[in-house]
Amino acid sequence: MMRTVNELKKFVREAQRILAREEQLAAYELYCSSSEHKVVRFNYTSDIPSRGIEEFKSLEADGFALRIVTKRDRHEIGHASIAGELGSAALHEALSRARLALMVDPHFPGFPSIPPSVEELGSARPNSDLFISSEGVLAASAWEIVCSAVKEFKQQAPLKLAHPGFVLGGDLSLIRERVAITNSTSGAILVDEGAHFVSGVTILIEAFEAKGTATAIGGSRADLQEAAASLGRDAVRRALELRHGERPDGGQYSVVLGPQPVAEILNYIALPSLTTAAFQTSSSVYQGRFGSEVMDPRITLCDDPHASESPLIRHLTCEGLPSRKTELIRDGRLVGLLSSFYDSNRLMNDEERDKKLGPGFQHFGSEFPPYSAYRLGEGAARRFDALPRATPTNVVMSTRGGVDDEDLLAAVGDGLYIGRVWYTYPINGQRAGDVTCTVSGDSYLIRCGKFTAPLAPNCLRLNANIDQVFRNPLAISSKSQPAVIWGSPELYFVPAIAVKGLSLAPIGIAEAMGRG
Amino acid sequence: MLVTGCPHPHSAVTEIFDALNFLREAAEPTLRRFVQTHRGAARAEMRFEAVFSRYAVANDGTPRDGTANETAALGITVDCEGIGGFIGRGQTGLEIGRLALNNNKLSAALSKALENAFDRAKANVREHARVAKLFGLSGCDALPIEPSTARDEIEATFGRDPRTVGASELMNLCTEASSTVSALGKDIAYNAIAATLELRQELFVNSAGAMISQAFAFAQGDCYVVAQSNSGHQEIYDTIGQQRGFEALTEGWRDNLMPSADLRSFALQLAEEARELARAPVLQPPDREVVVVTDPHFNALVVHEIVGHPCEADRALKMEAAYAGRSWLFRTLEQNEIGRPIGSPLLWACSDPTINGYGHYRYDHEGTPGRRVIHIEGGVFRDFLNSRATAAVLRAEPNGSARASEAWHVPLVRMSNTFFMAGESDPAQIISEVERGYYVCGNSIPSIAESRENFRISARRIYEIERGQLGRLYRSGSVVADSKRFFMLIDAVGNDLRLIAIPNCGKGQPMQVKRMSNGGPTMRSRARLGGAIQ
Repeated sequence: MMRTVNELKKFVREAQRILAREEQLAAYELYCSSSEHKVVRFNYTSDIPSRGIEEFKSLEADGFALRIVTKRDRHEIGHASIAGELGSAALHEALSRARLALMVDPHFPGFPSIPPSVEELGSARPNSDLFISSEGVLAASAWEIVCSAVKEFKQQAPLKLAHPGFVLGGDLSLIRERVAITNSTSGAILVDEGAHFVSGVTILIEAFEAKGTATAIGGSRADLQEAAASLGRDAVRRALELRHGERPDGGQYSVVLGPQPVAEILNYIALPSLTTAAFQTSSSVYQGRFGSEVMDPRITLCDDPHASESPLIRHLTCEGLPSRKTELIRDGRLVGLLSSFYDSNRLMNDEERDKKLGPGFQHFGSEFPPYSAYRLGEGAARRFDALPRATPTNVVMSTRGGVDDEDLLAAVGDGLYIGRVWYTYPINGQRAGDVTCTVSGDSYLIRCGKFTAPLAPNCLRLNANIDQVFRNPLAISSKSQPAVIWGSPELYFVPAIAVKGLSLAPIGIAEAMGRG
Repeated sequence: MLVTGCPHPHSAVTEIFDALNFLREAAEPTLRRFVQTHRGAARAEMRFEAVFSRYAVANDGTPRDGTANETAALGITVDCEGIGGFIGRGQTGLEIGRLALNNNKLSAALSKALENAFDRAKANVREHARVAKLFGLSGCDALPIEPSTARDEIEATFGRDPRTVGASELMNLCTEASSTVSALGKDIAYNAIAATLELRQELFVNSAGAMISQAFAFAQGDCYVVAQSNSGHQEIYDTIGQQRGFEALTEGWRDNLMPSADLRSFALQLAEEARELARAPVLQPPDREVVVVTDPHFNALVVHEIVGHPCEADRALKMEAAYAGRSWLFRTLEQNEIGRPIGSPLLWACSDPTINGYGHYRYDHEGTPGRRVIHIEGGVFRDFLNSRATAAVLRAEPNGSARASEAWHVPLVRMSNTFFMAGESDPAQIISEVERGYYVCGNSIPSIAESRENFRISARRIYEIERGQLGRLYRSGSVVADSKRFFMLIDAVGNDLRLIAIPNCGKGQPMQVKRMSNGGPTMRSRARLGGAIQ
């Protein structure tokens, strides 16, 4: 059972009293969290024994982290975390461990000063009825997704094959988190809580060499029920549409990258480079280009923890500051970076700061406010034992002069629509900006600005540089759509982008995969 | 106590490890009673772990962060049997931390977790019956092979107990190594040197009578260096890891199979390499297939991605299709590569948790003894890694490969020490026989097709080979190939088998990050090369 906000606040209040009596402490920060991640994993295979729902599982963790600074040296800091127990004995244990872990970090800037207005956030405001939903709702929704997919396949499959190789995979995940934080600079106890679900369904029909996917995110029980009714069905329909796809030759193509590939490239290449830490450690693809035009002038990119289109809302950072929208790219120009309090100070005080950021920094000067520091664990929920790190919440790409779908395809003329890519990595390191991935589904051939045939999944490998994708696109869609990246905590709301001259290499058919 | 060695009196408290003593007595009767008193419950199992870890990291010669953590976690799985033998599975994972210090609270957490897991398993049985009736679902009757009844106790191996290492001692090691790297000069733009020590004790108990206690010690060093010159920049990172104590980081580890330097020497060596690479030109790859000689470090990533993952039976059986894809070795129970050639007769590969390596263990997290599994025998594909449930589907014997990264996670089919086996050739001769080709050294970043039938894996260093001699060094190069063709074209396998520590293999939802070893000897094949993308 998750701890309530009042339980967390009560503990933090008690801890404040104890810590106030510690004469050797110059400052402290106490962060307390209770989180839960429930996962129902789908696994239905028509030709291989399976359970339909492989398992219904949960991860629960609560505890707190204490950071202390001694009066002996304002850069001497100790850190400890305790799982499971919130109470005075646990706090004393944490204090003892933090003292044993004391070290001098000459760059430690202290803890942030919490503005008084943030205290208003201190009241617990459940923002989702998912907090009070029973497990039964989640289980029923998961089985509805499985049922609707199987039903749709049985009704719509053009051939009644004995061995269709129908595979349903994915999961329905519910993430709930509560945090309370204080530090000695203000004494205020700040709390935040949130709940949302994410579900992804993948359908393979191996006999038709077809793959289709559907994804849903939401912040309420109504959203969940709506998703459960449509996800399985939609993924099957998409897979059936994509059956018997073509395997084009390798070469240079004009390509429409759908929202999922755009999100993947942002997730693995651009976002890790858009932090103060990346610049300070000389590992950003945009090293020395702060203030410069790094994307097409039609593109604006921001991280918005309050995005109206997202169920993932965070009011507070895990350093106790109000979360705010951070504009990263404005009209193609690099104008902001995600940051924590430590990293902002580290970069601003770096003697090579101007060189690392580049000449544009002086013109577009910024102090990189730390609006993006979160402590996240597996499954994207906040965790007490992680350190605050600059992490996006809702990555929103918007467009000036965007076009509709018809004009987007027309901009390509003859080429490819790539709707899903897989295993996207910065193949020559973060700073080089080179990206490779394979086209894994939801894709089409485009002829004369129209979809003419589906692409077989896994038939092409994309090799590109981030600048090829974002510097000179042919056209950009006017609408941003949600996209979820496996293993990433943030959500994406991005448009499709038409790009010319992308290199695609053919992938051979493996014998075991191609037979039958 | 299975964890041997006496903690330093001033170290963090270690009573949390004593919870295992209580659970050795209490868990088995609790699980048995639960199954007996809950209608439909077929079996129950508990995985418990107590973990002490200490971590330190220094950047550019100054301390950045250090922490010690001591925690405990519980994972419960309950199977319920339904109509027609269908098994519904429910699971609960809890990080219980200091609750484990109190026997009453620990008992209460165990009971509550059992009830939760049972409710979930029961709901699955009920819903499955409804769905089967509606759609005539077939094939959902995979019964796990009978549960383990093994009873054993295995100790950790270390010279210096991780709990006795002070925060300053570990931080000093990192700071000194980082300072040494920074002292190389201005062309080292950034470095981060981290060290982790961990002592972990696990207890597996099930309602069928198994009780297995295993302890592990881990020592790991991670180095990340960014070097830059007038002509370019280079980021590289690498890890050393041993299932040993602190001594593995301060003195290194001398071993034929998986030797490692001490942390300072390792960091310095990596930094020197980064400096050299920053001055090297970017590879301009030829537009054709070329001879490639790949070294053990590079082959570690090839075997990991192209053999290890596709040999996981859950992936082969499509259970990972929505996440990390399927396996190029398996289409259906009838159509697969078992018993068929997938590589040159010189190619052998296996997984072996029984040998010393970063992926060593004696029992998996279902209580099955780990054993050597031959994947490729003289070029012919032989066997998958499996769990009890996937073994039942494949009509194979369980081979002890179901592992969770933490007790609160569900066990997944995982690699252990997975490697290409040694051949007979002298590695120097493998290179000297090449008229014109490339020597590919050190792995960097992989990108894999959905079923791993194709890959692009980048290398740290690529040397030209001209008339059997190593020539110019290049950076930003990678090997691009279809997996089967690459394996079929192997014409030499060296006798220099080496394993390396892999600290971060991700799998599952939510993602589980697992330690293991991968490796191989020097090998020669043909492939295309990739370079920087213009």
